[in-house]
Amino acid sequence: MENKSQRFKLLDTLYLAMMILPIVCGIIIKVLTNPPSEGISITGAKIYFTLKMPIQDLPITESQINSWFVMISITGLCLFLTHGLKEKADTKRQHIAEWIVENSEKLVIGNMGEFFSGFAPFIASILGLSAFSSLLALFGLYAPTSDVNVTAGWAILVFVLITYYKCKCGPLVYAKSFADPVLLAPLNIISEVATPISMAFRHYGNVLSGSVISVLLASGLQGLSAIVFGKLPGFLGEFPFLQIGIPAVLSVYFDVFSGILQAYIFAMLTMLYVAGGFPADEYFRRKALKNN
Amino acid sequence: MELAIGIILGCCALGAGIAMIAGIGPGIGEGNAVAKACEAIGRQPECKGNVTTTMLMGCAIAETTGLYALVIAILLIFVAPGRLVDILIETMGNIK
Amino acid sequence: MQSLDVISVNFWQIVISLANLTILFLILKKFLFKPVKNVLEQRQQTLDSKYDEAERSVVEAESSKKQWEEKLRSAEEEAETIIRTASEDAKNHGNRIVAEARDQAEGIVRQARSTAELERRSAEEDIKREIIDVSAVLTEKILGREINMQDHRTMIDSFIAEIGDDDDGNK
Repeated sequence: MENKSQRFKLLDTLYLAMMILPIVCGIIIKVLTNPPSEGISITGAKIYFTLKMPIQDLPITESQINSWFVMISITGLCLFLTHGLKEKADTKRQHIAEWIVENSEKLVIGNMGEFFSGFAPFIASILGLSAFSSLLALFGLYAPTSDVNVTAGWAILVFVLITYYKCKCGPLVYAKSFADPVLLAPLNIISEVATPISMAFRHYGNVLSGSVISVLLASGLQGLSAIVFGKLPGFLGEFPFLQIGIPAVLSVYFDVFSGILQAYIFAMLTMLYVAGGFPADEYFRRKALKNN
Repeated sequence: MELAIGIILGCCALGAGIAMIAGIGPGIGEGNAVAKACEAIGRQPECKGNVTTTMLMGCAIAETTGLYALVIAILLIFVAPGRLVDILIETMGNIK
Repeated sequence: MQSLDVISVNFWQIVISLANLTILFLILKKFLFKPVKNVLEQRQQTLDSKYDEAERSVVEAESSKKQWEEKLRSAEEEAETIIRTASEDAKNHGNRIVAEARDQAEGIVRQARSTAELERRSAEEDIKREIIDVSAVLTEKILGREINMQDHRTMIDSFIAEIGDDDDGNK
């Protein structure tokens, strides 16, 4: 521990700053742009500026900025955890890094099989991005996952992966998988298209409902404390005493528990859909034929 | 004009309320799931971890329909009235 | 400040979040999974080499143990043969000593016997001579006259020789 060089410590500090600074930045931006005493308002993400794009104007909103912050933060975390890896693990951070890697691989291989072991970083990134995005709400920031565009983007990526692995044995096998009973083909197509939509809306709806309920509760508590303590003179009468502490209990459920559970479910469904859509028997049979 | 706006707001609120009837389904379903999970844990206490994880997953997936209803209710309450009133004012302006 | 509606679908925002996830996947793959897997692989390799080494040393120990056991067994056999030869030697030696001692003793006894014989013979001679002398004196006295000493001597000699012959014959 003592023989760490100056450079090592400097890099460590840099990585830690990379982890923490984005969140601080987000809080500062939030404080600077938040108009005071807005009252109850349930809206989407705030628009910082709008870019002119070919198909549709692109508003750069809180959700984009916050998800970029989360990405920078996760990158900093990765760099910090893998900094100074040694063959003989003696630091806590190396244990954590190895734990993350081994467990995500175990999860992926357990749910998808050996063939998909390359999916481990993808699943880990889904889990990390989703969970950290939801956890941003703990800092009072806008959670990117409560914007439907973000979760829809992930779900579409998952849909692309599902389709890619279904097409592994050629488009004929892919087309045949829809017409299992021929009469049900339209229903099969609808359910196939419904997969990404349902995934996106599930995640989005959970996080959004949490934030809506939190806002409603906060405003309700404000009104209640105005009724109860309104008779007190001066500043004391305006201060929302009931808002201290009580919303935190809900926040533990809606932000921490629900956010992490939804991230886990999103990753789980990704694994199940991708592994379930892949025609493994057919693929390996063809591969064996080709080898012979 | 005011009457039309009032009708829009009232119908949106009613629609949101009716949409949330869908909350019954996930409630019953999750209740069943938790009851079965409790039975399973009572029968095989050593499987508690697995049963709990699977139950949470199933519950969260069963919740989806309720969440769709919630999303529609939120849309009806917070988004639809503004849009509909805008459309109303536009058409009224056009008529005038 | 403006804000979006609760639900507002925007194509570019979807593309951005899709790209975000892809980029984060690449970042995790490069910065977390690759180094950790490298380290794990290295550890596996060192573990394997350690195991090989251990197995090899076990085999070596086994072989050296066998060698030692063989050596020990040969040493025991050698010791046994040494003991056997030593005891045989000792037995032979003792036998020889005993035989020599017996020979010596026999020699001594034989010598003693021969000397005793010699002494007995000389003593006989002495006794004979004295008997002759005494008998000559006695006969002189009895007969009262001097006889020829020479004649006497021959006569008595023959007499005693007869006695001695008788004696020998009796034996």
